[in-house]
Amino acid sequence: MTSVTPELTPPAQSLAIESRSLTKRFGRQTAVNGIDLTVPRGSVFGFLGPNGSGKTTTIRMLLALSQATSGTITVLGQSMPAGLHEVLPRVGALVEGPAFYPFLSGAANLRRLDTADRHAPGQTRRARVHLALERVGLTHAADKKVQAYSLGMKQRLGIANALLLPRELLILDEPTNGLDPQGTREVRSLVRSLAAEGTTVFVSSHLLAEVEQMCTHAAVMSAGSIVAQGTLAALRAVGEARIRVRTPDTAGALRVLTHLGLEPTRAPLDDPDPNVVVAPLVGDSWLPEAIVTALVAGGVRIRGFAIEDPSLEERFVALTGEGFDVVQ
Amino acid sequence: MSSSDVRRGARPSVMPKRSSSGWSLLGSEISVLFRRRRTCAMLAAVALIPILLAVAVRLSSEALAPGEGPPFLDRVTQNGLFVGFTAMVVAIPLFLPLTIGVVAGDTIAGEAGLGTLRYLLVAPAGRVRLLLVKYAGAALFCLVATLTLTVSGAIIGAVLFPVGPVTLLSGDTISVSESLARSLLVASYVTVSLLGLSMIGLFISTLTDVPVGAMAATIVVSVVAQILDVIPQLSWLHPWLFSHYWLGFADLLRQPLDLGSFGQNAILQLCYLAIFGALAYSRFVTKDILS
Amino acid sequence: MSRKSLKWLPAVVVPAVVVAAVIAVPLAAGAAVDLPDKTAEQVLLLVNDSTVSTFSGTVAQSTDLGLPSLDLGAGMSGAMPKGTSDSGAGMSSADAVSTAIELLSGSHEFRVYVGGESQSRVQIKDRMAERDVVHNGSDVWLYDSSTNAATHLSIPADLLATAQSKAAELDSKLPADLSTPAQVAERFLENLDPSTTVSVGTDTRVAGRSVYQLVLTPKTTDTLVASVSIAVDSETGLPLQVTVEAQGQNAPALMVGFTAIDFAAPNADLFDFVPPATAAVTEQALPTRPDGADSATDSHPGDHSPAAVDSPVVTGTGWSSIVEVPATAVPAELGDNPMLEQLTETVAGGRALTTSLLTVFLAADGRVFAGAVPLAQLQAAAE
Repeated sequence: MTSVTPELTPPAQSLAIESRSLTKRFGRQTAVNGIDLTVPRGSVFGFLGPNGSGKTTTIRMLLALSQATSGTITVLGQSMPAGLHEVLPRVGALVEGPAFYPFLSGAANLRRLDTADRHAPGQTRRARVHLALERVGLTHAADKKVQAYSLGMKQRLGIANALLLPRELLILDEPTNGLDPQGTREVRSLVRSLAAEGTTVFVSSHLLAEVEQMCTHAAVMSAGSIVAQGTLAALRAVGEARIRVRTPDTAGALRVLTHLGLEPTRAPLDDPDPNVVVAPLVGDSWLPEAIVTALVAGGVRIRGFAIEDPSLEERFVALTGEGFDVVQ
Repeated sequence: MSSSDVRRGARPSVMPKRSSSGWSLLGSEISVLFRRRRTCAMLAAVALIPILLAVAVRLSSEALAPGEGPPFLDRVTQNGLFVGFTAMVVAIPLFLPLTIGVVAGDTIAGEAGLGTLRYLLVAPAGRVRLLLVKYAGAALFCLVATLTLTVSGAIIGAVLFPVGPVTLLSGDTISVSESLARSLLVASYVTVSLLGLSMIGLFISTLTDVPVGAMAATIVVSVVAQILDVIPQLSWLHPWLFSHYWLGFADLLRQPLDLGSFGQNAILQLCYLAIFGALAYSRFVTKDILS
Repeated sequence: MSRKSLKWLPAVVVPAVVVAAVIAVPLAAGAAVDLPDKTAEQVLLLVNDSTVSTFSGTVAQSTDLGLPSLDLGAGMSGAMPKGTSDSGAGMSSADAVSTAIELLSGSHEFRVYVGGESQSRVQIKDRMAERDVVHNGSDVWLYDSSTNAATHLSIPADLLATAQSKAAELDSKLPADLSTPAQVAERFLENLDPSTTVSVGTDTRVAGRSVYQLVLTPKTTDTLVASVSIAVDSETGLPLQVTVEAQGQNAPALMVGFTAIDFAAPNADLFDFVPPATAAVTEQALPTRPDGADSATDSHPGDHSPAAVDSPVVTGTGWSSIVEVPATAVPAELGDNPMLEQLTETVAGGRALTTSLLTVFLAADGRVFAGAVPLAQLQAAAE
């Protein structure tokens, strides 16, 4: 046993998804441009990016639905698409919204898709379908035709389909699309409970808040490239913390802070409180207590002092150059 | 290390042997196909062809002269068993290819149109397996459609007209039971005849995500082949058209039974199966599923 | 090669293999066969010694006579009422002409069953229909499925006897030096010699059997016939195919041959024809020949052979022979046949039907000239 198969090398074992220089071109247009995804096992991985940034195209390549123009993909330790017959039975997926036979009932749809997987045991099929429907709260609509389903119900059915078998990896593309707030909360708690069972969950979303609430890791896509990737904490850390001083003596505060070598500005125009001065805290140059001491020494009356952690939103706006739809 | 060993050891229990439920997709495909209202409507329409023919002949007061109208129609009044043969002749050029066009054109493009194709492939159904299952479904439809026509023809013929020994094209007479056997032979001949078109439909279906387009294209292909088949300048091409032997089932109504054209037809259809099967395979396994 | 292009390989290879097989299989079937060499005379002997009395087979006939395309329906519908009204008389001659032309144009498939000298059945496979001729002893049945009509002819026993005695008589009259088949073959070749080169062509396969090809090539260039090949089964001596090539035409002008043959005796039931209960059955007497009983009054002043009055006259020899039918002998209905209009074109001195093998000239005065010769020769003969 001298040869070491790639499967046994540590990165492949600890990574659920790994892509190297993954590129997809449609004619002249480059949809995905050399991305290196690294999704650790056991993580809840947020795949964040505005609509049209190449998230779904990437997911299609991960699931061997479409062929990469160049680059390599490893899913659950196996190269894709070569190992798709080994890999896909262990992967549950919701891709670009749910899709079903409108003339079949919800349960019949799930049974139909379950037969497509030849590893799925036929004798437990009905029970597993029932369980999956129960898990997404669709038991009451199991025998209704899908054409009578609302978008939210279809979305739940799509998630149920991904849960027909115990999976090592779930790839959920925009799982909360079309769900009401209650449904969104349910999906979030479902994802958390699945993650607690040890399933790696890869969630794509254009909603920042969703990712912030569910995920341990994230990657940010913009125009076909990954602009940031890592744990959520690390992503936040990259951003600059800033101090926020509430004072009636704004001019004095500006002067003192400038003197300290910071770059203070008055509060943004939309800030409700005009008596605020903010300054980015660059590196470890000044300890907050030293700044307060200096302000007090400079005769600035301080009504409030705060250190603000960097907001992911600002960070991502800076990275992608555009805003996200932020849900409250 | 130990964790990886555990996972490797556990895998077989997670994934049973492939063959264990490999057929269930075929069963599911067949049940989805034949429980669809559209399929049932088409089969009902197929069953209606002999019924309309028989009722029209029954109600009409004037007797047909021999050779008038579609083949065998003049014999229907004397022997109800001819209803099925006449209906087959009437249905082969357009109606049966039309239904086959709908079913075969819908195979892959229909799933792509609904978006279920991506879920089947992610399951994973396996692209080759899915193609085979889809083709098997379309081929089964060919058989069911021709059997429906044959059975409906036999029943309505027996209800409206006398039934007795059947005169073959050669002038010899065979018993009712033998004529029913020949009817089944005709049905299987027509089924085989439609297999090539089904494969062409499957191939066209892999080209597009719009099922209606694939259906229309398949039907157009069948019509074009039949038009080419009557252009004398293209006589060199005729034996290679998949529709060339469609009406050749007349050979099954000769005495002694002539299976020559059955064989030729089967070989021709096999050629189409091989060519368009290969095209469908290459196209489908390299296709980017973007629907 | 990338994985993707490998997957496209079947799409290229499979059609190529199928096309190659489609081309190669007939080639292999017709691949050169090497039979022991035989002279033309030996091949003729082989035919003569043939003892085949029973077989069943499929015969394909194809013609490429360069005929104008026919509206067969027009000819048929014109003829049909006539045929049905003349009950008893059976087919009128116009009808016969239509049928003959129909059979000569395009291609047909027949099934032939022979169960000995007095039993045979020929089936003409039409589209969704069939015409049958069943001969069983003294009975001959004609059946046409498209009209569901059957015609019965009985051959009187005395006629059969006469035919047999005549044959015997002929046998006895044979010159002494023709007592063996070998001598017959020799004499036959001698007779052919002035006009025809007889050779044995390349051995080949017909209906899956190896055959000798006897090739008759006219020595004269005045004829439209380029060559006639007869394929003779190397085992049984049964001629399996006749091919007639025309001058200046690549495709055979006429080809009749077995596509499949089986020398086992066909099932005897096949010859035991009982007309279907629903069929219209016509009993028909054998057409009696006038045997010159008709009055032959007027003779043609310009006739080349004054001896002949009503019967056709043959001028010329061998391949370039011309048959002249006097106006009186031409059936009047012939002119009425609408198909004739379609088939013929107006030429100097009358109308002509030109095919790649045969030319027919209908002189303005009613005489008909025919021969396997160019039209100009017929026109010259008419003058």
